[in-house]
Amino acid sequence: MEIACAIDSRLAAPERPGHSGGLRPGRRSLDGSTADPVAAAEMTEAMAGALERIGAAVETERPGEAFFAVGGLRGLYGGEVAGVRAVARGAIGTPVLIGVAPTRTAACAAAGRGELVVPRGRLGRFLAGLPTVALVDRIGPPEREAEELVEALGRLGIETLGALRKLTADQVADRFGSRGLRAWQVARGEEEPLRPRVPHEDLVEEIELPEGVAGSQLDRALELLVDRLLAAPGRKGRTLLGVRLGARLCGGGSWSVDQGLGRPSAAAQVLRRLLVPRLEDLPGPAEALRLRALGFGPAAADQLVMEVGGSEPRRRRLGAAVREVRAAQGADALLRILAVDASSRVPERRHLLTPFPEV
Amino acid sequence: MVGPRRLNEPRSVTVSAAGDGPPRAVDRVAVEAVREEWLVEDRWWTPRPLRRHYFELALADGRALTVFRDGDGRWFRQRA
Repeated sequence: MEIACAIDSRLAAPERPGHSGGLRPGRRSLDGSTADPVAAAEMTEAMAGALERIGAAVETERPGEAFFAVGGLRGLYGGEVAGVRAVARGAIGTPVLIGVAPTRTAACAAAGRGELVVPRGRLGRFLAGLPTVALVDRIGPPEREAEELVEALGRLGIETLGALRKLTADQVADRFGSRGLRAWQVARGEEEPLRPRVPHEDLVEEIELPEGVAGSQLDRALELLVDRLLAAPGRKGRTLLGVRLGARLCGGGSWSVDQGLGRPSAAAQVLRRLLVPRLEDLPGPAEALRLRALGFGPAAADQLVMEVGGSEPRRRRLGAAVREVRAAQGADALLRILAVDASSRVPERRHLLTPFPEV
Repeated sequence: MVGPRRLNEPRSVTVSAAGDGPPRAVDRVAVEAVREEWLVEDRWWTPRPLRRHYFELALADGRALTVFRDGDGRWFRQRA
C-alpha cells in the first residue's frame, strides 16, 4: 500500500536533525510562535477535512499530520502520485509537505526530506538511514517512554533504524520488551494498515468580539453564536449531539471545551443553558468565540419549547380540543387513567379510568 | 360513562385443580409450571374480607397467566 503523509508545515517542524514528526506540546511552529494545541487541532482538522473532500480516507492522530492511502485516488486524479499530490495540495490550500511511502514512518520522513516518493523496493534502504528518533511518534504513547527507548538505544550505539533492524527479535524483546519489539517492527517496515476515521461534516461558526467584552455581553455573544450555528444551512435540520466551544484569547493562544448535549437537540435554549456556564472557565479575555458541531443526530423539526406562548393559550387550545372530541364522539370518548394506589397488593385498586376533566 | 371505574378487574376463568392445590389446567389448557404463588389478605376486620391465593402460571401453549382463587373457591384471572 502506498501511504501519503501530509504535514502542515506551519505546525510540524523538525526539532532534531532528521526528525519530522508532528507537533508536540511545547514544540514551536516554523514561524517561531509558541505551539497552540487548540489552534493546531483546528488546522489539522481543516487539513483532514480537505483531504476527505477529495475522497481520501484519512487517519490522523497527531496534530499537524494526516495519512491517507494513495491507491484509490490514483484512478481519480490522473494515475500518478504527482497528480494525487497536486490535488491534495490544492485542496488543503495551506503550506503542506507530502511524502509517499509504504509505511507511515517512511512517508512522514519522506515528506520532511523533500517530498520524496519511496517505492516498496527502496523502503528497506530508506528506513535504514533514518535516525531512531523517527520512532518516537510511531511506537505509541506515552511519548516519554518512547523517548527513553530511543535514548537507551543511543547509549548502546544504535542510532539508526538500520542498526536496530540488525538485532534479532529475541534480543530486542529481552532487552526492551514489547515497546522495543514494536520499534523493531517499524524499523523493518512492518506497520499496521491505516485506520481511517469516519468522515464527518464540519459545521463551525465564529464571532469576533470587540475589545473588553465580558460578563453579560459575552453571554449575549454566545447566544448569537448559538443562533448562527443552528441557522447554518449545513445543519440541514439535523439535531446536534455535542458542540465544542472555543475562544481565541487576546493575549495569544486559545481555549476550547467539548460539551455533550445528553440527547440530540437543536433547541437554542438547551445549548445556551449548557454553554453559558462554561464561559466562566475562560482563562482570559477573548477576541473571538467559536462553536463547532460535534456530530449530528437525526433530523428534527425545529423544537419548540413547551412554554412558548405561555401556559394559558395552551390550556385554552387543549380545552377546545376536549370539547371538540366529546361533541363528535360522545362523553366517554375522552378518558384518563388515574393512579390512585399504584403500590396496592390488590391489582384492581391501583388505577381508575375517569372522565378527562373539562379544561 | 357515569363515573370512574376500576381498571384490571378480575375476570372469571375455568380452572381445574385438586382441592386447595395449584391449578392443573386453565380453560382446558394444561399448566406447565407454577412460577410463583402468593397470598393476599385484606379487610379481614370488615364483614367482607378479601382473601386471594394467586398463582403465576406457565401454560402448555406457551402463555404466562396469573390466576387466583378467592375465599369462596372461585377462580379468576388478573394481571398482577
